[in-house]
Amino acid sequence: MGDVIGFPLSTGMELSNVKDAFDRVGKKQKLSFSKSHEVINQVSHEIEQALVKIQSDEDPMSPIDQKSILTELKHKLITIAPLKQLEGSQKELNLNLSKLPKLLEKSFPDISMAYRNVDFDFHIVNQILASHFYHQGLFDLGDCLINEAGEPEAAALRYHLLELHQILEAMRIKNIEPALKWVSTNREKLIQTGSNLELKLHQMQFVEILKRGSRADALNYTKTHLASFASSHKKEFQKLTVCIIWIGRLEKCPHSELFAPVCWEKLTEELSRVFCNLIGLSLQSPLSVAIAAGIEGLPTLLKLVNVMAAAKKQEWQALKQLPVPVELGKEFQFHSIFVCPVSREQGGEENPPMLLPCLHVLCKQSIMKLSKGSSRTFKCPYCPAEASAVVCRQLYF
Amino acid sequence: MEMDSLPNGNSTTTSTTAPSTAPPSKLTQLTESLKLEHQFLRVPFEHYKKTIRANLRAVEKEVSSVISAVNDYADSDISNDDAVQRLTSLVSRLQGLKRKMEEERRTENLQAERCRARIDHLESPDAENLTGWANMRLKRILVDYMLRMSYYDTGLKLAESSNMLSDITFLLRALMIWQIECQDLVDIDIYLEAKKVIDALQNMEIAPALAWCAENKSRLKKLKHTQIKLLLAETFATVASNSDPGVNILEFNLVKHAIIVNAHCSYGWQSKFEFQLRLQEYIELVRAENHMGAIAYARKYLAPWAAMHTKEMQQVFATVAFKGIPECSVYKAFFEPKQWDYLVEQFKQEFCRLYGMNPEPLLNIFLQAGLSSLKTPYCYEDDCTREDPLSQESFRKLAFPLPYSKQHHSKIVCYITKELMDAENPPQVLPNGYVYSTKALEEMAKRNDGKITCPRTSLVCNYSELVKAYIS
Repeated sequence: MGDVIGFPLSTGMELSNVKDAFDRVGKKQKLSFSKSHEVINQVSHEIEQALVKIQSDEDPMSPIDQKSILTELKHKLITIAPLKQLEGSQKELNLNLSKLPKLLEKSFPDISMAYRNVDFDFHIVNQILASHFYHQGLFDLGDCLINEAGEPEAAALRYHLLELHQILEAMRIKNIEPALKWVSTNREKLIQTGSNLELKLHQMQFVEILKRGSRADALNYTKTHLASFASSHKKEFQKLTVCIIWIGRLEKCPHSELFAPVCWEKLTEELSRVFCNLIGLSLQSPLSVAIAAGIEGLPTLLKLVNVMAAAKKQEWQALKQLPVPVELGKEFQFHSIFVCPVSREQGGEENPPMLLPCLHVLCKQSIMKLSKGSSRTFKCPYCPAEASAVVCRQLYF
Repeated sequence: MEMDSLPNGNSTTTSTTAPSTAPPSKLTQLTESLKLEHQFLRVPFEHYKKTIRANLRAVEKEVSSVISAVNDYADSDISNDDAVQRLTSLVSRLQGLKRKMEEERRTENLQAERCRARIDHLESPDAENLTGWANMRLKRILVDYMLRMSYYDTGLKLAESSNMLSDITFLLRALMIWQIECQDLVDIDIYLEAKKVIDALQNMEIAPALAWCAENKSRLKKLKHTQIKLLLAETFATVASNSDPGVNILEFNLVKHAIIVNAHCSYGWQSKFEFQLRLQEYIELVRAENHMGAIAYARKYLAPWAAMHTKEMQQVFATVAFKGIPECSVYKAFFEPKQWDYLVEQFKQEFCRLYGMNPEPLLNIFLQAGLSSLKTPYCYEDDCTREDPLSQESFRKLAFPLPYSKQHHSKIVCYITKELMDAENPPQVLPNGYVYSTKALEEMAKRNDGKITCPRTSLVCNYSELVKAYIS
């Protein structure tokens, strides 16, 4: 972690080194090209000269000696040494051409170094990819892959995700009907999960009516669609109905936050989340998440492989747990992991985290050790407070 | 004991789960990840290099043949008319060469532009286009996978497709330049070069593969140099000690002879892949029961490799002694149709090496790194959150042989909000020992007049009964 700051800077520099090396290749290529041109012109010129001589000798009576002209040409070409000239310019170009790959190898590590020789089952990978495309709404691509790779599965998923994307597509043009239809067919499941998505969708529809400015329409919508929420969501219901008063000057309404454009975005995201959850998927494509984690984690893994001695390379292939932590961003933390600050061990069911009376947390085993098998009191390693094992409480994250 | 080894035992009293170093910003992370782009820069450059070198050689060859023609004319007696005619044709040959050079130069320049486009692309990410850039990278990784797996339609479609999540301006721009841009960023034409050979192999045709080997002869040789030295040493040892009973002694002597004759001949330093291609052609002759043809073929094309591939040579020569396809499994294997699939695999590997590509698809490398970094014992529990890729059965299967991640510091995620708790949002403990984030509990208390209901045990308590836990 020490070179977190130094790393990006050096990447920038390495990239500009590559750029320079590449520019040099370009220059040498140009040079070599004009040199080749020049050499060809020289040779061509000499041959043409010889031609002129042979042809001009045609009129006079004296016999034409084409042989001597050709020999002269031969010697001239020997003095020009076209091949040697070509070689000279090519050599420099070749040198630069071989330099760049070496530079690349030096500054951009071989990422397959951190690869374990375990073969992924490509059927699984293909199904993950097809699901990913469906998840992104790229149905053509998903179908294309399924066809090309001959993977029959993932069809059920496609059906659900297609529905989701049709709903989202409609919402993009502020048509909420498909969403409402889906919500009403899944009403019971949604209530079980405690989602009030249905109310939120009606609220959005109602807000759009308010914006159009017809009081009668608004009242009508309240009666037919919102009334059923009057008792279960009292506050929201009151808030919405009171807005009717402000029709025509909604910007002055005390609940103006309801009319912000960002509400649509939020609603769309919530719908996606609820929908995905209901069909057992995550909001984000799991492939995107896993790859993003890989991109963040790989530099650390490469460094690790690099420092592992050559003899330990075998071990790398067989490790049960990575020897160093790979720090990933917050968005990749899905589970609570307790590491005891004393024993440095990960807590678990047999060795749970315990809260000391001074509110510091240690794992059970550490507390047992400190208290000599809960036989006596001990000082908290983090503050002067004394504690005994019996007063420590187990925590659940 | 352990207490003594604590580096900052008393300073942590006030801090909670704050990590020891501030997490690097997204942009910093992205810049760091540029280091992983070796293949992205290398492949187009290798392509460019290949074109330049081929063109240099072509010029040299043509010029030298013109010169030697002149020398020939000077040394022989030719008539005046002949001399005029021949010299004129030499001049037009040189004119033709110049024209060809101009054309080839355009190709070179296109390839140079592609290299430059890639360098520029790696320089382009900044705070504004982070997401777009990362999406593009994911697409590149996927296209690489498709092309390697020979899913060309999907690969092309993905490369051509516009970005679904993008805004309208981007879509407009995309319509015009997406195609060009994308093709600059993925190596489609290079894979199409591979496709020709692969298609042929799948139709049991070897010629295009051999042509490819011939075309890249010098480069394949160089790659193999050290490997060949090792193989050679091994071979001599094997030859010295070998007495495989299944071998036709006569043919084996022939092979041995070939070793001595050819071991030092440059002809022998070829890639194993070419050997395997030749082997397959031989096998096809044996399959057709053309035994004389097979032996003649072996003398001509297989013998030079004997030094390096003794064992295969011995086995494959033995096949000629059988009538039809042999029963013995060792020899029968040579006649399996999957030998052709094996050739396709070999070709792909050789091809990747030649262009400086990773032997594995980028997707597999990144996926493996990602799954290792994400894998915890909790991922395999039934209540694993859906947002974790490892909650999906397919990802769990892939991650099965991979190592678990390691943590040096506690990371506590709130059960309610799913957010990582830290100094700003510290963990609080209910009287029953259940822990939630301050944010979630405050919110709950606000909605329920200061009452807290534990979502997992339904215990009800007052907000004032909660205590903050210090987790370091």
